[in-house]
Amino acid sequence: MAVTTSEGSAPIALDGAKKFRGNLTKTRIRWVIVGLVAIFCVVGGRLVQLGLVVTDNSIEGRSREAISASRPAILDRNGLEMAVDIRVPSLYAEPRRIIDVDDAVEKLRTVLPDLDAKWLRNKLSGEKGFVWIKRELTPEIEDRIFQLGIPGLDFLTESKRFYPGGPEASHILGSVNVDNQGIGGIEQYMDGQDVGLLQSLGLAGGQGLSPIHLTIDMRVQHVMREQLLDALTRYHAVAAGAVMLDIKTGEVIALVSLPDFDPNDPSSMIAPYDGKPAMRFNRVTAGKYELGSTFKTVTFAGSLDSGAVHMGDHFDARFGVRFGRFTIDDFHGQHRILSVPEIFKYSSNVGTIHMMQTWGKDNYRAFITKIGFDDALPIELPEKTRSNIPKKFSEIVAATAAFGHGLAITPLHMAAAVAAFVNDGVYEPPTLYARTPEQVAAVGKRLISPATSLEIRELFRLNALEGSGTVMDRQAQGYRVGGKTGTAEKVEHGRYSTNKNFNVFASSFPMDDPKYAMVVIVDEPHREGPTTGDTAGWNAGQTTGRIVAGIAPMLGIAPNFDRALDDQMVPASIR
Amino acid sequence: MIRKLNIVLILLSAAAFVAVYGLKFSVGEIAKNKTALERQIERQKGELSLLQADWSYLNQPGYIQPIVERHADVLGLQTIKQAQFGAFGDLPMRPVAPDTDAMTALFTSLEAGVDPADKPIGAH
Repeated sequence: MAVTTSEGSAPIALDGAKKFRGNLTKTRIRWVIVGLVAIFCVVGGRLVQLGLVVTDNSIEGRSREAISASRPAILDRNGLEMAVDIRVPSLYAEPRRIIDVDDAVEKLRTVLPDLDAKWLRNKLSGEKGFVWIKRELTPEIEDRIFQLGIPGLDFLTESKRFYPGGPEASHILGSVNVDNQGIGGIEQYMDGQDVGLLQSLGLAGGQGLSPIHLTIDMRVQHVMREQLLDALTRYHAVAAGAVMLDIKTGEVIALVSLPDFDPNDPSSMIAPYDGKPAMRFNRVTAGKYELGSTFKTVTFAGSLDSGAVHMGDHFDARFGVRFGRFTIDDFHGQHRILSVPEIFKYSSNVGTIHMMQTWGKDNYRAFITKIGFDDALPIELPEKTRSNIPKKFSEIVAATAAFGHGLAITPLHMAAAVAAFVNDGVYEPPTLYARTPEQVAAVGKRLISPATSLEIRELFRLNALEGSGTVMDRQAQGYRVGGKTGTAEKVEHGRYSTNKNFNVFASSFPMDDPKYAMVVIVDEPHREGPTTGDTAGWNAGQTTGRIVAGIAPMLGIAPNFDRALDDQMVPASIR
Repeated sequence: MIRKLNIVLILLSAAAFVAVYGLKFSVGEIAKNKTALERQIERQKGELSLLQADWSYLNQPGYIQPIVERHADVLGLQTIKQAQFGAFGDLPMRPVAPDTDAMTALFTSLEAGVDPADKPIGAH
């Protein structure tokens, strides 16, 4: 609106008070809007900023899962647990999240009164992210602490390995350390395989690991261990061991080495036995021994298979074999001309040497390589050893080796070879993991012909009926066990001891249709009584018989006393 | 018009406020339940593993044998001997034909109301 004055001067345009106030309001509103936008920008910016902040919700304890990772259960061939994981809660604290330390200490001590108040206050103060308060609690205690509702305290489920069988299968299983890592046996082997990988990836936290099925039969394992413990006391021996294989598949049914340890207490692994250290190792896979006359089985199998020697042949065992100033003679001296079955039956060193010489010492050496005695066995245990057999045999080394002196192998090597000799000559490398028929066919390899295998079976049974295995056969009447004894003098201070023996019995049963092969060792046995002997038949052999009598019914092998069966197994021509 | 719209919007926002508040609380409740359930599962898994370990411990041959030995006298248990095993082949064969005369005599006697089993022993 315009106001005009009467003087007629130039009109002055003045904004009215209303308009003036209106303009002022507009300006104010504009400033307010600017102010508000600015505030909203600040708030929005702050929101974006807060949105971008990564809050530290991770609890340090969770990352510990890797070390307390669970391990797969280990089952025997019948599904019985040999090793299981127990899940136990452990209490830990995050001191930087604890609001009132004194209050927490007071409350916690109502449930865990044995905790020292000062120690606990020290633990809970400070800015640390993770401290263990108490490990391996019971679920009841866990619940009561949870009910206290103290912030900054939490639980972590830890896995603890438990071996329900105790020392029964200790050398097969091995043990684990506090971080749940295998320290020996199949546990250590597993870590080298897929389990170790899973653990390192942190995937082994759950219960989802599928169990591992071993070929061990815990019933057989138990009987074998009981009988070997009995042998230790009965013959006052320093050590004993045994292994049994399924000859068709090479699967280890049972494996015991005494003295053993309790896997639930890993420190017992290295505990001294009878005042001596380093006694509790696995003698079956990691101990190398001169297995004495059981080695003759190898010489017989090889020479018979080569065709150089026949069952009907005779060899002169009237005189010892001379090598320079050494003369090798027989222990059970017959001093006459012996047939091949008689050499086996009387365990004639002289006869065996002649058989080996007829066959040829280089052929003999090649055969030892062929049956896998040079290399370590592919068994799934870290405790194994390879033999140190000279690459080339001299005349005298070959001669002593022919009857098992001078070269040391593990008892498992011998068991695998014996299994092959009675399994129609097909060698299956020993294993602890079950094999499918396809795998059996794939890994099997022929050592000797089925005809030679049959001859070895005849000799084995003959030895049980008439030779050094008769003591064994009395214990296992009806189960048609056959085998070969081996009594080796132990080497002491570089020479053979005359009163300390290492006794072996290599056997198989039932001989009419062999299914299992077994090697039993007894270290430094003594006579049980005045009427018994201290050669292998009396201790290792007798123990073999007791083991077979105990396990044959479990394995579904019925006793058979039919004499015709023995006549059929052992032809009259060789008796 | 605008006034009405405003009132509606205010009411709507009030309702939304209550709903969101309720939702927040129910989520909190569900989260609490979830934690409780997780704890329960974890505990039961732990208990299950303990029971499983217990079960396999009780099933070990090494655990059972001492029990058997302890009660062998009371229960008259003995280790089975080889000679005690038998086979189906050892059982005598069934008679070729049933004894028909004896059967007929039994049935006629039963039909006559006399059960031979009721007779005192020795009274024929």
